[in-house]
Amino acid sequence: MSRVAEASRAPALEARAHRLFAVARLGEFVERESVFSWLMLTPPLLFLLTFLGYPFFYGVYLSFFRREVAGPATFAGLGNFVTLANDPIFWQSVGNTVKFTAVATVLKAAGGLGMALVMNQNFRMKALTRAMLLLPFIVPTVLSTVAWQWILDPGMGLFNRLLVVSGLATTGPSWLGTPAMAMLSIIMVNTWRGLPFFGISILAGLQTIPAELHESATIDGAGTWNRFRYVTLPSLLPVIFIVTTFSIIFTFFDFQLVYVLTGGGPANSTHLMATYAYSLSMGAGQMGLGSAVALSMVPVLGLLLVVLTLYVRKD
Amino acid sequence: MALSAQSEPSRRDFLKLAAGATAVATGPWVARKVEAKPAVITFARESSYVKNFDEHFLKVLKPAYEKLTGIKIEYQIQAAGGGAVPQLVSMVENKSGADLAWVQQEWLYRDALVDVSDIAEAVGKEQGGWYDEIKRLSVDNGKWKSVPKGNIGQLMVYRKDWFEEVGIKKFPDTWDEFLEAGIKLKAKGHPFGMSMGHGFADNYSWLYPLLWSYGVTVMDKDGKKVALDTNETAKAVDFVRKLYKEACIEDCVGWLDPHNNKAFLTSQISCTNNAYSIMVSAKRDLPEMGKVIDHALNPKGPNGQRYHALVPVTHGVFAYGPDPQAAKDFLRWLMDPKQYRPWIASGDMYFAPFLHAFDKVSEWDIEPRVKPFQKVLETGKLTSWPAPANRAHGAVVNRWVVIDMFSKACTGAPTKSVIAEAVGQLKQIYGVA
Repeated sequence: MSRVAEASRAPALEARAHRLFAVARLGEFVERESVFSWLMLTPPLLFLLTFLGYPFFYGVYLSFFRREVAGPATFAGLGNFVTLANDPIFWQSVGNTVKFTAVATVLKAAGGLGMALVMNQNFRMKALTRAMLLLPFIVPTVLSTVAWQWILDPGMGLFNRLLVVSGLATTGPSWLGTPAMAMLSIIMVNTWRGLPFFGISILAGLQTIPAELHESATIDGAGTWNRFRYVTLPSLLPVIFIVTTFSIIFTFFDFQLVYVLTGGGPANSTHLMATYAYSLSMGAGQMGLGSAVALSMVPVLGLLLVVLTLYVRKD
Repeated sequence: MALSAQSEPSRRDFLKLAAGATAVATGPWVARKVEAKPAVITFARESSYVKNFDEHFLKVLKPAYEKLTGIKIEYQIQAAGGGAVPQLVSMVENKSGADLAWVQQEWLYRDALVDVSDIAEAVGKEQGGWYDEIKRLSVDNGKWKSVPKGNIGQLMVYRKDWFEEVGIKKFPDTWDEFLEAGIKLKAKGHPFGMSMGHGFADNYSWLYPLLWSYGVTVMDKDGKKVALDTNETAKAVDFVRKLYKEACIEDCVGWLDPHNNKAFLTSQISCTNNAYSIMVSAKRDLPEMGKVIDHALNPKGPNGQRYHALVPVTHGVFAYGPDPQAAKDFLRWLMDPKQYRPWIASGDMYFAPFLHAFDKVSEWDIEPRVKPFQKVLETGKLTSWPAPANRAHGAVVNRWVVIDMFSKACTGAPTKSVIAEAVGQLKQIYGVA
């Protein structure tokens, strides 16, 4: 090969070498921990922003507008919130939500602790029993709530049949027909559904407590109650705290159960903020007002998240 | 066995793999996008309670239109029982989902519907003309925004045998007689079950007519003034409280729409207000009960009038669809007597046409107990009556303002306060003083 030919190929070879070098540099850049981690994080972040962030910020936007279905939006400032402040049903739904969340969470926490303590013992068919106890959590809420509709039926329902057959009552109560009983019923169904979450989480916590702690306490003369009071409970507190916080959030935003069981009735006695927001926006077509109700729930969620974050950081 | 350093997949390999997988997953979609638009019309309707009706559409009408035009018809069945309105709202908000639909509560999204005056006027002309009341729903600012399909009649459904057991041979003609009958029947263990919960039809279908028959309307004719705050309203509220306490099953104050069907079919109640779906279910599954069920018009009130609440079914074409004209052409074809009449007949007149040509047709003779449902059209009113059926009215209906006025009274609240609360809500919704 002549020198001239070699000289003419030199720039091409140089360009190729540059390209290879650039690719290699890019590869190194991508493989850096800080870059690669962001590359991995970006898809889920985009997913969250699209499917959670967008509806959330759109909801915030809507809450400041008078906006009806298929209609134009007109800026209302705080108008929707002022309307809600003067709306007795909104305040009733706030009260109902607080009552529902408080009672159901306490019942679930107490019941879940009991369930976990029992499940932590050794007995026959323990694994099967544990699996069975998870059922309420696994079955889709709408399906299980339809089953509860039958269970709570005044004439044909399981509860009232049992009451009548056992001779405890001549006729059973109207589980969904009076405001007090309807609230009691939705709390009962929510507790039934949420109990396994507490039970299994606390059980996991129980199994991390070293046996030596109990043995030392026993040697020191502690009885069953004192071992529970001074060893088990303090060790479980972090788990109970986190599970309770999550449960408050889930319960506060509960929708399906009430929507299927009572639709918020009778006479709004079981209307929660979530069902009221839904009925205003999707039923009555008042998207702005409905969004304002939904947004009113956010401060509670925010507060809980702050508490949870602080607690986790402290640990 | 441990993998050698060379065979261990690197992050770069993973990225290549992910990029490849994305390309494979996206490829067919992109390819589909560049294909020609498929000739499909999507027609969304709430699941029908009458099986034959849907079957007739799927087996006769759908193939006939597809053969005639080559356009595929997608029959999209939506959830029944009140679930359709949120689905329609969602479709309208997202500008997707269907080309035409049974536009339940169309006042919520009329702006998203195209003008179908040409179809409605032609159909009215060829089939005896439309009932006036339905025009108040379908016609908006002088334009038809939907074509009425039919009314799902709501009447008193009762156990004739149990009524006869307490000496009542003819269904009560007035609300007072209705209460008397209820007291007698409850004493025999057969209470009434009148829905008052957050349902979507079985509550309105008797509480609004009852209120009207006391001479009360919710709003005035123009929808500019709340008309509910009267002594007659108080009398109506007191009557319903008495009816509930003395004649009804306790549960009914919280009932959603399926509950009264269930209670009736399980022999817990002797009377309720419903469409004739209870009779259909009984004839199919409980033949003995099927023989003793009957229907009656709503009783008359103190003003000497009887009323019924319409539950209208109307079809509308969405303006945002890819080809609204194609959807309109399909709707026009569907409403032609050649298609429309057999379709209506297939549902055993469950959907009573708002067209006078059907007033005396032989289809009403299919079952004598179905015949009273034709009469509903004569005294039937929209729940907004006499005010316009608009968005504000939609909010009143979907926030159960009037229903809760009665149900709160039944659960112990004083008459004055329940009326005041309802009036307050109406003023807020309509934006009037």
